[in-house]
Amino acid sequence: MSGAPVRLLLVDDEPQIVRALKPALIAAGYAVEAVETGEAALETMAADPCDVVILDLGLPDMDGKQVISRLREWSDAPVIVLSARDLEDEKIAALDLGADDFVNKPVGVGELLARVRASLRGRERRFAAQAVFRSGDLELDFALRRVQILGEEVKLTPREYDLLRTLARHAGRVVTHRQIIAAVWGAGAQVDAQFVRVLVGQLRQKLEAEPSSPRLVLTEPGVGYRLRSDD
Amino acid sequence: MVSPVKMTPSPMPSWRRYAASLAIVAVTTLAAEALFRVTGSTRLSMVFLAGVLVTAFLYGSGPAWLAAGLAFLVYNFYLVEPRFSLSFEAEDAINLTVFLAVAMLTGLLTGRVRDAAKRAEARAHATRVLFDATRDFSASSDETYIRDRLAHHLAAAAGGPSAVEDAARAPGAIPGVSPEAVAVSMTEPTARTATHGGWRLRPLRADGEVWGLAAWAPSADPPPEPQLIEILVDVGAAAISRAHLAAAKSEAETQARTEALRNALLSSISHDLRTPLAAIMASASSLQEYGHAFEEPVRADLAATIQEEAARLDSFVANLLNMTRLEAGQLKVTTSAFSVAEAIERAAERRAAGRFVQLAAPADLPEGLGDAVLFEQAVGNVVENAARYTPAGGAITVTAAVRDGMVRVEVADEGPGVREAELERIFEKFYRSDRTARTPGTGLGLSIARGLLEGMGGRVEALNRTDGGGLRVTLAVPAAA
Repeated sequence: MSGAPVRLLLVDDEPQIVRALKPALIAAGYAVEAVETGEAALETMAADPCDVVILDLGLPDMDGKQVISRLREWSDAPVIVLSARDLEDEKIAALDLGADDFVNKPVGVGELLARVRASLRGRERRFAAQAVFRSGDLELDFALRRVQILGEEVKLTPREYDLLRTLARHAGRVVTHRQIIAAVWGAGAQVDAQFVRVLVGQLRQKLEAEPSSPRLVLTEPGVGYRLRSDD
Repeated sequence: MVSPVKMTPSPMPSWRRYAASLAIVAVTTLAAEALFRVTGSTRLSMVFLAGVLVTAFLYGSGPAWLAAGLAFLVYNFYLVEPRFSLSFEAEDAINLTVFLAVAMLTGLLTGRVRDAAKRAEARAHATRVLFDATRDFSASSDETYIRDRLAHHLAAAAGGPSAVEDAARAPGAIPGVSPEAVAVSMTEPTARTATHGGWRLRPLRADGEVWGLAAWAPSADPPPEPQLIEILVDVGAAAISRAHLAAAKSEAETQARTEALRNALLSSISHDLRTPLAAIMASASSLQEYGHAFEEPVRADLAATIQEEAARLDSFVANLLNMTRLEAGQLKVTTSAFSVAEAIERAAERRAAGRFVQLAAPADLPEGLGDAVLFEQAVGNVVENAARYTPAGGAITVTAAVRDGMVRVEVADEGPGVREAELERIFEKFYRSDRTARTPGTGLGLSIARGLLEGMGGRVEALNRTDGGGLRVTLAVPAAA
């Protein structure tokens, strides 16, 4: 990281959470802004945009999902949802509204920082269309549409390739069933999540050394999938 | 349930009507005698004709025939020359024919009018019976009551005993009718009246369901209107079905409310447990990964966070345990004298969540009598509640004083206060004011505080502050002598 430090906006109304997270985020080299309400978060992002937003869903003035949808009207800054809610529907709704990732409370700072880095990389990737993606034994060449495991080429069907490419573009971050369906079958396709599970199973058969305990294509129960990224 | 017979008055028996026709002929004869004495005329057949007319009009065809025959004989014997002997000439034949014709026509006419009147009366009766029954049925949604009233109305309409039973009890409940016959009657695909001995059986069928069986024994004289009774039974069945649906609906609503309550509680418990856990996890992992890089005050602050949040978790768990014990009636109260001032100081220190607490207790405050640990927990709940609704930077005032043999602790906050109507309700379990719906909370703290205090002979009450904004909650325990 060169020049000005990356700025994080921490939106949480529980002061003890902010108090506990802030020192580590600063020690990791980020500049941290902390606000308690959705309104204040939107104001901060409008006046002096931060690079990543870490957002609690239960805010006193509005629902966190509302913050995401309003922010997404004009900002594409990565949003990581930080929530004690373990309701899958909430997470999916937040992700579909444009959140980049989520972490469940309680979370260790190590994991939170990894998610922050993944979301920042995702943004770089979007802008600097990387030609090759690597993670562990996997190598994916976007230009040649070539997939290799330990240097051996793996034959994928077009749908399997589309799935892998989508996961790779979001490597390290969760991709919801709906996002996968839109990317593989096309936006608006009426496809059951069951088909996604089947397709992921096929992909794992081809990529994973041990398909029953996947190390590359990870499941986020009830929400979607996440491709492990080298950190 | 079997209802007893109720007799309706029957109309005049037929022999009396014939006797009456004799009387009318006798009166006619006297009238003719009187007219004969006055005028000397023997052409008085019209008088007898009038007698026949009156009889036919009042008592119908049969008595009219009798009167016509009798009037002819009397007239012929008594007035027609030669008097006091029966003769039969052309004129007599005309008289007899006219008498009989009048008797027949008037009798027929009267019969029709009478039948029409009877039908109108029967209709009015049926309407009244159904109206009374319907009004009775709609008065209540209680199924037992409706069955009871149906049996009553059925007995009245049938003029005999009646029974209304549910499907389980119906077989064997009708005297002299085999359980099989009852079962068959109830499994008919459509409602149909079956006859078994003196009993009529009809299933209580409505909305495609059988709600039991109605049985009645119709009286022989007068026989009741079968259609009326069937309609009565069907109306009753519909009312029973409606009562059933109403009960099922209210049960479903109760269940939905319980479900919503449980979900709210679960999400609230999850929040209250996870928030301190999240703070502990974040602080501990920060110390582990960056401890070496932190300045000393940062390390101390993180350690303090861990300690405070662990204490918060502890009091939350204690609350859950106390609630369970209060619910189960197994709260153990150890009564002894304890220092109220110390208890409120500890509670305020641990539960104020960073809000400024102003403590004021007189030096000569007597000790309280109760359970010190539970008292501290109760005060802590009230303080935590106050902190929850006091904006950051606001102050909570905790004062203690003695009055009327009770040590009273007042906790005043700077929150929004509650509506007058809610001052009692906030002590109900899970009750949360809609004004503060966005502030997380279980709606348990105050209810537990009250339960604990009442367990040791104390009281908890809430009032809105009169000195500007916020709520004032008073906890009172007996003062130690």
